[in-house]
Amino acid sequence: MSNTHSEKQVKTCLNDIKYDVLVIGGGIAGEESALKLADMGYKVILVEKEPSIGGKMILLSKVFPTLDCAACITTPKVSETARHPNIKVHTLTEVNEITKDSSVFSVSLKKKPRYVIENDCTGCQECENVCPSITQDQFQFNLIARKAVYIPFSIANPRIALIDIENCVLCGACEKACPSNCIDFSMEEETINVQVKSVVVATGFKLFDPISIERYGYGKFKNVITSMQMERQLAPTRPFNSILRPSDGKTPDKIAYIFCTGSRDHTVGNPICSQVCCMYSTKQAQLLMGALPMADVSMYYINIRAFGKGFNEFYLQAKDMGAKYVKGKIAGITEKENGNLVLRYENISTGKITESEHDLVVLSVGLLANPEITKAFKNEKLELDALSFIQQPDIMLNPARTSINGVFVAGTATAPMDIPDTIMSAGAAASETSSYLKSLS
Amino acid sequence: MSKKKIGVYVCHCGGNISDYVNIDMVKEAVKDEADVFLVKNTVFACADSSQKEMVADIQNDQLDAIVIASCSPKLHLNTFRSVAQRAGLNPYNYIQANIREQSSWAHSNDKLGATGKAIQLVKAAIAKARESEALLSKKITALNAVAIVGAGVGGMSTAISLADMGTEVYLIEKSDSVGGQVANFGQVFPSNTTGKELVEKLHSEIKKRAKIRLFTKAEIIDKKGSIGNFEVKVKVVNEELSLHVGGFVVNTGFESYQPTNGEYGFGLLENIITLPEFKQLVDHSDKLEYKGKPVNTVAYIYCVGSRQDDEGDNKYCSRFCCTAASHTAVLAKQKFKNITNLHYTRGVRTYGKQELIYEEASKQGDIFLQFTLDSIPKIVTKGNKTIVTVKDILTSGKTIDAVVDLVVLVTGMVPRENKGLQSMLKIPLGRDNFFNEVHMKLRPVETVIDGVFIAGTCQSPKNILETLNSSQAAAAKANSVLTKGEISLEPVLAKLNPAACTWCGKCEEACSFDAISMVDCEGRKVANVNESNCKGCGMCTPACPVDAIDLAGFTNSQIEAMIDALAQS
Repeated sequence: MSNTHSEKQVKTCLNDIKYDVLVIGGGIAGEESALKLADMGYKVILVEKEPSIGGKMILLSKVFPTLDCAACITTPKVSETARHPNIKVHTLTEVNEITKDSSVFSVSLKKKPRYVIENDCTGCQECENVCPSITQDQFQFNLIARKAVYIPFSIANPRIALIDIENCVLCGACEKACPSNCIDFSMEEETINVQVKSVVVATGFKLFDPISIERYGYGKFKNVITSMQMERQLAPTRPFNSILRPSDGKTPDKIAYIFCTGSRDHTVGNPICSQVCCMYSTKQAQLLMGALPMADVSMYYINIRAFGKGFNEFYLQAKDMGAKYVKGKIAGITEKENGNLVLRYENISTGKITESEHDLVVLSVGLLANPEITKAFKNEKLELDALSFIQQPDIMLNPARTSINGVFVAGTATAPMDIPDTIMSAGAAASETSSYLKSLS
Repeated sequence: MSKKKIGVYVCHCGGNISDYVNIDMVKEAVKDEADVFLVKNTVFACADSSQKEMVADIQNDQLDAIVIASCSPKLHLNTFRSVAQRAGLNPYNYIQANIREQSSWAHSNDKLGATGKAIQLVKAAIAKARESEALLSKKITALNAVAIVGAGVGGMSTAISLADMGTEVYLIEKSDSVGGQVANFGQVFPSNTTGKELVEKLHSEIKKRAKIRLFTKAEIIDKKGSIGNFEVKVKVVNEELSLHVGGFVVNTGFESYQPTNGEYGFGLLENIITLPEFKQLVDHSDKLEYKGKPVNTVAYIYCVGSRQDDEGDNKYCSRFCCTAASHTAVLAKQKFKNITNLHYTRGVRTYGKQELIYEEASKQGDIFLQFTLDSIPKIVTKGNKTIVTVKDILTSGKTIDAVVDLVVLVTGMVPRENKGLQSMLKIPLGRDNFFNEVHMKLRPVETVIDGVFIAGTCQSPKNILETLNSSQAAAAKANSVLTKGEISLEPVLAKLNPAACTWCGKCEEACSFDAISMVDCEGRKVANVNESNCKGCGMCTPACPVDAIDLAGFTNSQIEAMIDALAQS
């Protein structure tokens, strides 16, 4: 009798932390949903698997069609999220299991060790200075290297260090250099159990990896890069202070964009349009023409999808600035000895097979579904649509609802979308979640 | 004014400022200004780590005022006010200098000039900071009740969301029925339901909720007050109602573009109709006939009234029409097996998942042609035949003639004329004449008027899914503002000195917010400012001939100090 009692006590103790909402994903969709709900007075726990919140947007340069600097728009939302008294943020944390019991979701979270004591790190970067181990910087999309102990990027939140243990040589130099004694190699993965009344899935999208389109030579030809790599080169927190092509560090002056890389393409299993690539490519073209006034920028496209508020005007502006839009799908790329690339395509306006030489090729990669989270739902199934996005069973009335009552969805977890649409969808998810929580009480 | 300790922060904004403005020169130039205690630079002033540093400085060095030289206050005024607040400094002792929009971006071709101007702006801000005063916000009670204008699918969706979150709703519809344009739609992509069913479902949900009061044949005729407390007069049929609400959600929808007479032969040839008319025809006929003649070949001409050239007003893309036309063509083909669909497009914009409907149309044998604005399709009649001629860019500019039975003009969305409502609620228009939000990404459902929110197609063309998302987002925003029951008023308000006032009425004339009226003060007629109506616009202060009105936060002494600083440098 007493034994059962104490067992029960232990269990209650583990599940003691209660929140109204679990938001999965700390990109702009998750932040916007969390902020709206927190402003309404709900207690929110937000989990992010990366070491910083901010998602993909915080890594962008400027955003179309207003050319606002992306960091200027995300950082206030990011710091408001981190600071809000009703929001608890866990970075480096993934959802392991979610079990629904009547109207309570029991959630087990796995928090990866940072090997740095969060509250003590001041972000001074002394550890980075002394670390001997170098690896590719994933937040600069492998354009440059970083240390094994590192701050993810300059506007990361929290702006503190972490140790990438796989690349760490365990030399202990960082431990000696740290002035606040916050390096701790004994940290282990932590399990956090919480109970929540509702869940917002804001797990975003995956970028298409163009390595599978062999004819474009990505990964083989050095001067074929992705649009995200170009985005980093154009960002205020850019790795170089200029636009450089990878093979020889030369400033490119004949740049080509290949639209619809990994979108509208059955051969890679993604038949739909990614909704943002036409516009982000058009934006990059405008920024490139500003940064490199002498450069030629050619845009190889199928259709231009400039559909949103101010988008068509923005596209016409890029044309007026001198971006050359060529209707034609690239059939193949060959590399010359000097690293230049020859693009072969049918020029639709002439009907002729044409070849043209460029010194840098940017692949406008698309947005894919990121369905991993469905595995975490144990006793009720979070359904996906035919394209592996989170299914919206009531799309024409309540687009934020999912197949599980009490679980809502925001942003690109449902479909490719741009930032304004993502913010709207996150607002709708907050509204649905609040209505649901009100209906419980 | 007692001596102050002022902290100055100069932001690089990544490189947005520091690529053009020499930050070190700015710091050097202002460090010896009177009362300046510290000058620092920061890569992103708005980043959390910088905010923390400022809070620490204010507390450790006991600063009395701070100047932040970065971007437009439109972007980060509230961010930095909250920094001050967290540090225990009155938010109105923080002054913003805009050296991005006003220096680095405006003068990117002249780095030295941009730097010089930045120095002047920072010095002026320091001068203002020296004269700054702590201001206290007055809290007023706010009603958790909203008037929604327009009961289309968007307005109804906002109403349901708001009611379920605990807000009282008055749903005001001009016509005699709900559902707006969607009520007439057949099957709506990407679902199997019809527009009519959708509207019926929403309407039945509305009826279930005691918190929603729906008025049809109703119009707002007068509005007074400000966020939290609006007095609204609504004319319902012939009666007048008074409502008391905390805010508005405007969801007044769109108008379908009406082709001008002769545009693609519209109104001149009898077998030319618009897409909404064609959809009705497809939905309600068993055989595809128009004016008694069988229709075997349909020509769809896209972008009618959208993406117009210099002579047209509508430069924008209407967003929904490529999908709507492809979807209608698919439905028509499924229903009337043997028809041929010819699509004359300007590049198909079936973005996102809507690509699948374009693919379906292609697979069922529809033919897509493409033209540019320089050579639009020509429609002529020869005998009893209608011929569409186009220079098709998909076949390298070949001229293609097709005999068709019906021409469908794929018309876009245009903003609805709504001058009365627009001027009553003071909603600004964007360059495309749709209602405009404050910021597309930061504040997408808010207007510059506090408490007036916008959603749906009155803001920009949207499909039903996007309309629902924005309508519910507006509900979330309105509820999060009003649910607390109180709102802090901006303390930047006109302040009257009754002893100096000689009541001439000029301030009352200058005020566009009905905030000033005449009162009796100890036997003298003087002006009085109603603080919940005052927007702090400052129009009254220069109108006063005896300097009896000053604007808190922008006082005459502050403005004069700024001018002096600008004139000296």
